[in-house]
Amino acid sequence: MVFNSLTFVVFFACVLALHSLPLPWTAKKINLLIASYLFYAAWNPPFVILLWVSTVVDWYAAQGLVKAQRAATRHAWMLLSVIANLGLLGYFKYGQFVLDNFTSLMSAVGIAYHPAHYDIVLPVGISFYTFATMSYTLDVYLRRAAPAQNLLDYALFVTFFPHLVAGPIMRPTELVPQFAQPRRASGQQLRFGLALMTLGLFNKVVLADSFLASAAERVYDSDKIPGALDAWAATLAFSGQIFCDFAGYSTTAIGAALCLGFAMPDNFRFPYAAVGFTDFWRRWHITLSSWLRDYLYIPLGGNRHGARRTYAALMMTMLLGGLWHGANWTFVAWGGLHGVYLAAERALRARFANYRPGPVAFVALGLLTYMLVNVTWVFFRAKTFSKAWIVLRGMFGQNAAAKPILATFSLISVAAIVGGIVLTHWLMRARTLESVVARAPAVALCMIWALMAFAIVIAQGAGNAFIYFQF
Amino acid sequence: MHSSTSSSDRVGEVPDRYARQTAADRPGVAQPVPLRPVPVQPWGRILIGAVLLSALLVAGWEEYWRAYGVRPSIANTYGLWAIQRRRIDAGEGDATVLLGASRLYFDIQLPVWERLDGRRPIQLSFEGTSPLTPLQDLADDPKFTGRVLIGVSPDVFFTGFKYRAGAVGYARKESPSQRIGQWLSMHLIEPYFAFDDSDYALQTVLARQAWPARPGQRSRMRVRKLAETEADRNTHLWDKVDTDPEYRALARRIWLNHFEPYDDDPPPEEALKTEKEQIDLNVKVVAKLRARGVKVLFVRLPSSGAYLEFEKRYFPRVRTWDALLTASGAPGIHFEDYPELQGYNLPEWSHVAHNQADRLTAALYGIIQRDFWGPKAAD
Repeated sequence: MVFNSLTFVVFFACVLALHSLPLPWTAKKINLLIASYLFYAAWNPPFVILLWVSTVVDWYAAQGLVKAQRAATRHAWMLLSVIANLGLLGYFKYGQFVLDNFTSLMSAVGIAYHPAHYDIVLPVGISFYTFATMSYTLDVYLRRAAPAQNLLDYALFVTFFPHLVAGPIMRPTELVPQFAQPRRASGQQLRFGLALMTLGLFNKVVLADSFLASAAERVYDSDKIPGALDAWAATLAFSGQIFCDFAGYSTTAIGAALCLGFAMPDNFRFPYAAVGFTDFWRRWHITLSSWLRDYLYIPLGGNRHGARRTYAALMMTMLLGGLWHGANWTFVAWGGLHGVYLAAERALRARFANYRPGPVAFVALGLLTYMLVNVTWVFFRAKTFSKAWIVLRGMFGQNAAAKPILATFSLISVAAIVGGIVLTHWLMRARTLESVVARAPAVALCMIWALMAFAIVIAQGAGNAFIYFQF
Repeated sequence: MHSSTSSSDRVGEVPDRYARQTAADRPGVAQPVPLRPVPVQPWGRILIGAVLLSALLVAGWEEYWRAYGVRPSIANTYGLWAIQRRRIDAGEGDATVLLGASRLYFDIQLPVWERLDGRRPIQLSFEGTSPLTPLQDLADDPKFTGRVLIGVSPDVFFTGFKYRAGAVGYARKESPSQRIGQWLSMHLIEPYFAFDDSDYALQTVLARQAWPARPGQRSRMRVRKLAETEADRNTHLWDKVDTDPEYRALARRIWLNHFEPYDDDPPPEEALKTEKEQIDLNVKVVAKLRARGVKVLFVRLPSSGAYLEFEKRYFPRVRTWDALLTASGAPGIHFEDYPELQGYNLPEWSHVAHNQADRLTAALYGIIQRDFWGPKAAD
């Protein structure tokens, strides 16, 4: 079920009530585990089996890793986990993609190959929970962490509903220890958790779905040729939409976990105030970028084997990171562009090691970063390369005969909301939400909270799925 | 992707008591249990204040729309449609199905039909939407063996226009969560809140304000709320359209706006081609239904004024309605051929007024029984 649904409201109220009953801690964990399976089954009940497969394989792989005496045996257990998880991901997410590309390749060499249609439904959140479970075996393999003490704690780590389908991607060392001792939210945690959930849902239901999504759709999902204003407005709208959608999900998830007494890691740190792409990836989808760094970039050699190998590792990481987002070459292009940006930034930092930007240059570099990030969003949003080129040509003023697409209201709302998001990120770039909230007058917090809740109610969201569910 | 030796400015260096590191600051190590500090504030009082204030705001919003004349009604969602579609799977495969666009949807009253027929028909029409896709769905479903009344609104039927295109797909893939959400919404929210209507959603309300027009841009006005729906999709024209002259004029103005030519209209030859394709597609589906004994009846309900003029100009009867009946071999009822279907009050030219819908339903049912589906009729 999605957070922005009546079903979730009822579900969450039941979970909170159950969790507050005076039951033994093990019983409460079993309740949370069952609730999490119900949360996942509410999309498509049979796919719970995939969760079980992923859970059981990694549980036994980690046990095998601990008991193994020889390096080769340890290696084999680790590979079993990686192959099982990537196998699941590959079959469900990339099967059709591989088949389509193979068919195209055959066609290119003159062989007419017509495979049967690969009618597979993508299980929600499979990219997220396979990465979470893989981090468990990989941490044990790399001797960074001990395996979980019992299957219940481990299964709950994999399945815990706040992070299950769209992150933040949690590591076992972040969550499993929290299951060791009884936890129940204090009154302050419960209320602040509810405030975070309201903030997250406001981002999703009001800003992303109600005001920004339609501007992006009208340009990206139509066959009209956009001029510069429409192409930029739609792309900026998407930049705001995907931030509000995904950061909104993370904030809601963090709030939901906090209401139950659990802590989840930050996933976003005001990314549109990033100066440079290294900084961007320290602020955007932090739990994915750090996962890719720890389990892909560093094992590929990181920056330990000279410049050429570093650039190769960087590009490989970003290309695969792009592919993780979706089975389409446009996502690979998105990742590739970020890889190129990161490589260029690295080269420039080496070339101008002593350069320190002044205040104006600092802001200018930040805005340049944001503009270049927007260029990458074109490939992320467009369903095909031809559509991406059309929008890019529009953004650079090359669609001369274009007619207006977006209405005045759309342009104004995109400018106001996206401008507001970017400005907020700059004001908050060196702060935390908590520090600002702590200094705010209580009356102001009360009014802001009420207005956000009111806006969520009257926006009448249609329970649209979060964008990252498809990944 | 950040390098493990990045020297960029660190968020973790923020000098505030709530500052904390993230996984971005700890490369290549096991990540510890996260910190999630709660800012010091009187959260209990803040929560109570926020709940009271938001309740007050919602109450004010509700009162505003009730004063405008809106009453709570059930939202016409895909989930609501799916509930009716499932009746065919749940033993009502021999039922009468109503399948058309808004005219069949608003004008035919299910209680009247039930009173005359003994059975309540299944309403599967959708406003502004060609019946072709759900008709294909019925044709592919061997469980359906009943009768189908196909509404023909020319500007929708012969263009294949689909304002609500996703109902069949939604019904096939509806998740347990969506089903529960539909039930909760239609039992706990929609019967009590008038503002819970897509026409009064925040973005919709703001978007229809008098914003300055963008030079060179023309777009069709969005159709405003026209109907009220009940839990089994029994629907009628909203009384305000009939009783409020200003609102009625607005509804008419919107239709006139839709009748104007637009840049994205297809060229005439393409429109003609689409018209023929739509007839062909419907003929095939109807043939499939009739081959297994399903009774099919086309019906063209009344329109008037500028709407009727528009339809006659762009979808002349001989080229559309008559061609459809000839090609399909199926019977049809055109309001122009039956005095019982004429002389109704159609406030915005397209749908019969609420207080006359019962009479129209009874008249149509009478014609159907007399000439087509009744014991003395020869189909």
